[in-house]
This record gives sequence, C-alpha cells and structure tokens, in this order.
Amino acid sequence: MPAQRTFGMDHPHHEWSPIITRPVLRWPHDARVALCVILVLEHMEWQVPDGAFQVANLAGGSAPRAFPDYARLSHREYGHRVGIFRLLDVLEKHGIPATIAMDALTADNYPFLVRHCLDRGCEIIGHGVSVSRMITGEMSETEEREYIQSSIDSLVKATGSAPLGWSGPEYGESDRTPRLLAEAGIRYVCDWANDEQPFPMTTGDSPFFALPLLYELDDVASLAQRKVTVADYQRRLTESFDVLHEDGAANGRLLALNWRPWLVGQPFRIAAVDRALAHMMECGGVWPATGSQIIEWYQSQTA
Amino acid sequence: MALPPDRIDYLPIIDRPVIKWPNDARVALWISPNIEHYEYLPVNEGVRDPWPRTPYPDVQQYTYRDYGNRVGFWRMLEPLDKHGIRCCISLNLAVLEHFPEIAEAMIERDYDFMSHGIYNTRYLYTCTQDEEREFYRDCIETLRRHTGKQLKGMLGPAITGTVNTPDLMAEAGLIYHTDWFHDDQPTPIKVNNGGRLVSVPYSIELNDSSVLRDNHYSAEYFADICKAQFDRLYEEGAESGRVMCIALHPFLIGQPHRIKYLEDTLDYIMAHDGVWQTTADEIAEYYIANYYDQAVAHAQRFTA
Repeated sequence: MPAQRTFGMDHPHHEWSPIITRPVLRWPHDARVALCVILVLEHMEWQVPDGAFQVANLAGGSAPRAFPDYARLSHREYGHRVGIFRLLDVLEKHGIPATIAMDALTADNYPFLVRHCLDRGCEIIGHGVSVSRMITGEMSETEEREYIQSSIDSLVKATGSAPLGWSGPEYGESDRTPRLLAEAGIRYVCDWANDEQPFPMTTGDSPFFALPLLYELDDVASLAQRKVTVADYQRRLTESFDVLHEDGAANGRLLALNWRPWLVGQPFRIAAVDRALAHMMECGGVWPATGSQIIEWYQSQTA
Repeated sequence: MALPPDRIDYLPIIDRPVIKWPNDARVALWISPNIEHYEYLPVNEGVRDPWPRTPYPDVQQYTYRDYGNRVGFWRMLEPLDKHGIRCCISLNLAVLEHFPEIAEAMIERDYDFMSHGIYNTRYLYTCTQDEEREFYRDCIETLRRHTGKQLKGMLGPAITGTVNTPDLMAEAGLIYHTDWFHDDQPTPIKVNNGGRLVSVPYSIELNDSSVLRDNHYSAEYFADICKAQFDRLYEEGAESGRVMCIALHPFLIGQPHRIKYLEDTLDYIMAHDGVWQTTADEIAEYYIANYYDQAVAHAQRFTA
C-alpha cells in the first residue's frame, strides 16, 4: 500500500527511531564496535526453476550470458571449493568468529563444508534455498512459509540444529517476511540495511530483531557492482570502521559485513581483506562476535 | 557438486591430493592472448547480438577490435618476447586464414593454441549436436592445416557453449575446457563417453576484457591485481601447485597507454624462481598423466 503521509514508517515492521534519540547501547567490555562477519555460501542453479525469481544482474562470470552459463556457475562455485577456506583462515587469525549464511542446496549437497564450518565454531544461519530462488513479494504466503521452512529443515538435517538467524538470498523479502521468519523460530534477520545498531522488529509474540549491515560495504555492491578497486575497498572498510569506532565511544555501533567467498576469497583480494580486519582488531575496543551473540547481548541490554 | 549439470565433483582445496609441478614449481603460469576476429557483417542468430549498439556494421566496435590485429598484437609481442613467454593462444581459427603474418608470428614462437571458435561473432548456443561435432572437426582440421598441431582444448567462442559441449569436446579428442572458473587447480570434468576432459583454470578476473573493458579499471590496476594474485598463489603453491592464467586481448592491452603495465607485470612475476611458464596444453597433459585418477578417486569421499 502506498504511504499515507503520517508520522513514522510506511510499514509495520519496526518503529521510527533516529539514532540520536536512542538510549546508550554498551557492548561487552565496553567495546565501541561489535564486528560481525557474515560469509555467504549460496548456490546458483544451472537453470532457474519455473516460477522462481533470480535477479537479472546476478554477479559472477562474464557479462550476463544466455544458458548455459558455465562461467557464472563455476565462478560462484569457487567460493565453496577454495575461497571459503582462505576467508576462514583469515578470520581465525584475527580471532573473529564467522557467521555463515548457508542456503539449502549447499547444506544438502556439501556435507564436508557443513562439517568444516561446524568444526571451526561458525554460527550457521538460514539463507533460503538458493540464490536462484529468492523471496519476493510475488510469493503467496503459503509458498513463502514453505520456502522458509524447507530452508530451515535442510539446515536442521545438515547441522543438527535450527538456525537462529536469517539472511535472504539477494536480501529478498516480501512484506510478510519478518513475521513469517519469527513464526518459523528465527530470531534475527540480516536483510535490513538501515542502521548501525540492532533494532527490534514487530512480528508478534516472540522477540525478533534486525541485525543491519552496511550495504555499500557488501562485496557484491562494492566490487561487482560499483567496481571499487581492491585497495579502495580496503580503505572503505577501514575508514568506515574508524568512524564507527569514534561514534561508538558515545553509543555502541555495529559493523556487519556481508561477504561472498567466491568474490573476496579470490587470491588477489584476500590480502586486502586481511589487512582491513587487522586494522580493526588492532584498534582495540572491538567485540568480534557472531550474529546470535550480538542479538543475545542486545536483547539483554534492552529488555 | 552433484547438482546439475553434475560435471565437476566437489573437491575442497584443503583436502585433495597434493600437486607437484615439474621442477617443484609453485605456480604453473600460462599467458593466454585471445587472437580474435569479429565479423564486419555477422549473422544474429537471436540469442546474443554480436553488435548490439547499431544496425550492422558497427564500424566503431569492429575497428576497435581489428586494431588488435593490425597494431596491438605486434606491440603485445614485445614484453612477451622480452621474457621468452610461450603463450597459449585462445584462437578464433579463421584468423589463420585471414591474417597470415599473425599466424606466422605465432608459429615462429612455438605457441600452443586452444580453439576459441572460428569467429568471435559465431556462438555455440544454437548448435545442434551434429553442428557442434562439425564445429570441432573444423577447428581441429584448420589448426592442423595451418600449424601442424593437434588441437587439445577450447575456450568456447566468446565463452559460449551448449549443454553438450564437454561431451562433444571429449568425443572429438579434446582434453581440456577453460570456460570454468571454480578453482586454482585443474579438475576433471565428467563426460558421458569415457573420455578424459579437464578444466584448466583460465581467468575471468585477471582478464583485460573484464578488468579494462567491461569494468573500466586502469591498466595499472590490472598489473596490481595480477601481482597480488601471483603473490598469494605463489605462497600457497609451496604446499600444492597452483595455476595462474593471465588472459589478454591485443586490442586492449596493446593500446599505447597500457602496454607498459603488461611489461611491469611480467617483470615482476618472471623474476621469481619456482614459476613453470607453460601452456594449457601442457598443464592438461601433465594433470591427466599424474593426477586425474587420484582426483576422481578422492572426490568420492565428499559425495552427499
């Protein structure tokens, strides 16, 4: 429904809350910045299933190509075979726990990768079925419910536990998604890019939160779409961090990064990511945490 | 992955047989200039428009590319020759028929050749299986007639293919396909006829066409990322050999304002020990002879 020209948001999912009017949020050990790194393990399908929606400019490969697109399919597969291990090594070196957004096709078909992520202490969160099937406003409520449940079921089967977090492939949502996620037992969602602190969402009885990320620092947004150079990407990461670190002295900030191992995990990009994270961790006053840890803390502070 | 098209078994880089290159090299480096010809008046078969900017001809875009053959190619040879690089040409085979001086320059340097189709304006999308069979026969025969060499691999024309491409390549006796970007090492590609086909990592990232033309970066940046790629693969290659490819197009890298960055890149890389400067033909043959069976066997432990 079009906006009604009245106070506040033009949707029911959360309150209007400018950051200057909020109570002070403190992170554990008085850290100024909570750092959450989300690594996306998603599968592009050989053919988009009938009725499914895949964005037209889905990153990877050469320019958008007709079927069969071996280039884009395999370029994205690089993350599952090579890039993820480079990134996990870098995160481990800096003492940063990984939050893995894993789609159902990955959970179902890459048992080694699932086990590896669990063995390394990663938190695994829901990420839909595949990047070739994103949630959109054209799904019926029943379809969306089934989609969310099947994504969760695959993770339960593969990992032994239900995910607490959710990141939609390509940030896909309908206007019902937060409520349906909450009803499916999810506690936080990473699709909303509108803040530098977690915030509560209005979904019904159970508490539900947004873990917002900085969209411009998303690797697809920066590297694949804006064609930012590797050196400039490193600079944007460190300079963003520096400002959050400064602002976080007065009121804690969140830096959540959304990275695809097939993109930032390439040999020529990994050193820049490594250096950016080194800078952040050297500054002190940083709390590297998983999505769940951040939301749990936030909830305890704001209850 | 067992997912469609089920061509490549999953093999995580941290758990697979160790690759040792000849002379214990860390990185197998292959340089792949794309020597192409784009038709002045191509046929649009309806899947992809060769010259989408204007009705044909598109003299601006046609001549931009033809510049590569008249001028850029010859300039590009200078830094390559300085380092004695033996290239693996990604070749539109009709170039051998149109431009004999280019054919001669490549043959004289003992370059290897993979097919990149006949023309860069003729795609495989609409080929029936028999048409695609005839296409491989033509590529093989044309290369043999002009160079005496046996064709061994292909980068699809303009990176196009059909669902049958790996099967039909293997059936025609080819041993490698470079349209796959999933790894820093060669990997087996499953085919339906008992042939042995492998992926040799070409690059869609270290490719002047993506970096300079599609994505509008500078040549200095191209040199920077080539060096950064080399540094990382060189480090990792101490444990298990890696492949690095630099893909070039003379109409791009051969521009006067760019050429010094190719020289700079090669100066940097070739100053290292432990680099096997080779071709995709040799990488594929070496991998098939030494690691293909191991890789296939090892992959069985990762199936879901």
